[in-house]
Amino acid sequence: MGEHAATGLEKWLLDKTGKDIYFWNFQVLMFFTLFEVGAVFFEVIPGTDIAITRFMVWGILIVVGIIKGYGIAAYFMHLKGDPRIYTRTALFPVLFVLLMLWGIGLSNPEAVTELPSWCTPDWDYATKR
Amino acid sequence: MSGHNNHVDNSVWSRAILMAGAILTIGIVAFAALGLGVGSVKHDTYDDAKAAYYEAMDDPTVSESELEHLHHEEIDAHLSYLTYWVAGITILIISAIYAIFLGIGGFINLIQPQDDHHDDHHDDDHHDEHHGSASPIIFCFGVLLFLMGFPDFVEALRALMSQGGTFAAGDLVLSTLGLTVIMIGVANWWREDLPFIGYGEQIATSAPFEGEHIRKAGLWVFIMSEVMVFATFFSSYLRVRTEWCTKWAFDEGKCSVGATEGDIVLTASDYLRPGGAAGTGDFWTMLPGAVNTFALIISSYTIVLALKTAKSKDWEAPKGVMRFLLPDKKTAVRNYLIATLLLGSMFIVLKLVEWSHLVAEGFTVGTVQGSIFYVATGAHGLHVFVGLLIMLYLVFKADTIGYDEDNGQGIEYFGLYWHFVDLAWVVIFPAFYLY
Repeated sequence: MGEHAATGLEKWLLDKTGKDIYFWNFQVLMFFTLFEVGAVFFEVIPGTDIAITRFMVWGILIVVGIIKGYGIAAYFMHLKGDPRIYTRTALFPVLFVLLMLWGIGLSNPEAVTELPSWCTPDWDYATKR
Repeated sequence: MSGHNNHVDNSVWSRAILMAGAILTIGIVAFAALGLGVGSVKHDTYDDAKAAYYEAMDDPTVSESELEHLHHEEIDAHLSYLTYWVAGITILIISAIYAIFLGIGGFINLIQPQDDHHDDHHDDDHHDEHHGSASPIIFCFGVLLFLMGFPDFVEALRALMSQGGTFAAGDLVLSTLGLTVIMIGVANWWREDLPFIGYGEQIATSAPFEGEHIRKAGLWVFIMSEVMVFATFFSSYLRVRTEWCTKWAFDEGKCSVGATEGDIVLTASDYLRPGGAAGTGDFWTMLPGAVNTFALIISSYTIVLALKTAKSKDWEAPKGVMRFLLPDKKTAVRNYLIATLLLGSMFIVLKLVEWSHLVAEGFTVGTVQGSIFYVATGAHGLHVFVGLLIMLYLVFKADTIGYDEDNGQGIEYFGLYWHFVDLAWVVIFPAFYLY
């Protein structure tokens, strides 16, 4: 961590604000967590009559999850700055995770009626059984 | 002891025993204040509310709305009592476990003969190759024994706590032996690591990690195996979740034809989320999970600050009030680690308070939705707790030997694990608590 010289965004933030990337990453994580929890607390967008639907909540949770996950992995776990082999190691199980989510998570016939056929493993077998 | 001195006197381990005593004292005081003090007052309030509700049930003159109001008061009083009692007892138990872990580890090393002390390095050559260690193998053997005897161990504990079954002392033997071997392995590990000053870190000599620290590469591989563990929970959750007719699915007509409100499956988020289908969720039910999310993020930052401080060559004490907390580099690293430890401990306490509320409201482990929730969040909580046990040693080392720019990788590698635990929560929290 301390052994890497600040470059790019890290250097820019440090020069402009006097605070390092870890501080700003922490701020971003706190903000998005607040946003995430807020999305569930409110039933309509504050100040409007627009209802926060199930799909809006889905979208918010997924987008915020990706931003937070990137912030933690890239800056706190220091994948950005460490040799590429660590990022490759970190990404190695992604294929297996996706296979598990597809092969186990979406293997329920009730769950897949709205999904494309390539996304429905053993659907016929499961419904006939 | 300076960062470049590899001699550690045995007497330093007596400090671990002192720390264990201090932690246990804090646990007992917290339990007395929260569990016995406030808890007993809240229990009296709960008894009164329950009596008032039962009396009203037998009274034909009490209106339905009044009865419902009394029922809500009884539930609120019960949950309020549970909050303090569970918080108190949890603090006591985790303090006792911290004290036993640190105290026994310190005691085992304290009674070792000084001459038998294991040094990884020689004073005249800091660049010696780091020796291999038997500690991980001893530790794993202990875990094997513990898990082999675990079912009987649980039965014996249930019988000891008068929860049914017949107590047989023999049931305790294998797991207790396993815990003893684990403790010996951990104590030996500490003994080997304490004098480590950062020289002689093993470097990988072949692809793909050529030139990298073997411990760091190993830790990343370990973290990836942990990703798979959590992926099993998550895919199982997805499998059953997509089958349920949840309130949201029901409202949007996504349930099977003819589904009625009686078919709605209540998830944990229905109990916790404001406006959830269970009708019990409000700001306060959501609060422990939300606070825990912030606690983990803050603890991720404090561990980063501990590492950054340790690795800093030109660290300066801050000005103002913070100077009292961070007067010098060694104390600053230790205090950042203590802050991380406290935040992690708070996570466990709030988690169990939240679980007690959910169980009291009828969301038990006996249902599919309860089972997947408690197993997934429990596995995460276990990872947090294991991290806290490791952090006890980091605090001890920071308090005695100290961390600096040479040996700070101990914090860095632990930090990777801790950030992973935070990362897992980034997925678990929205999936189980918000959606």
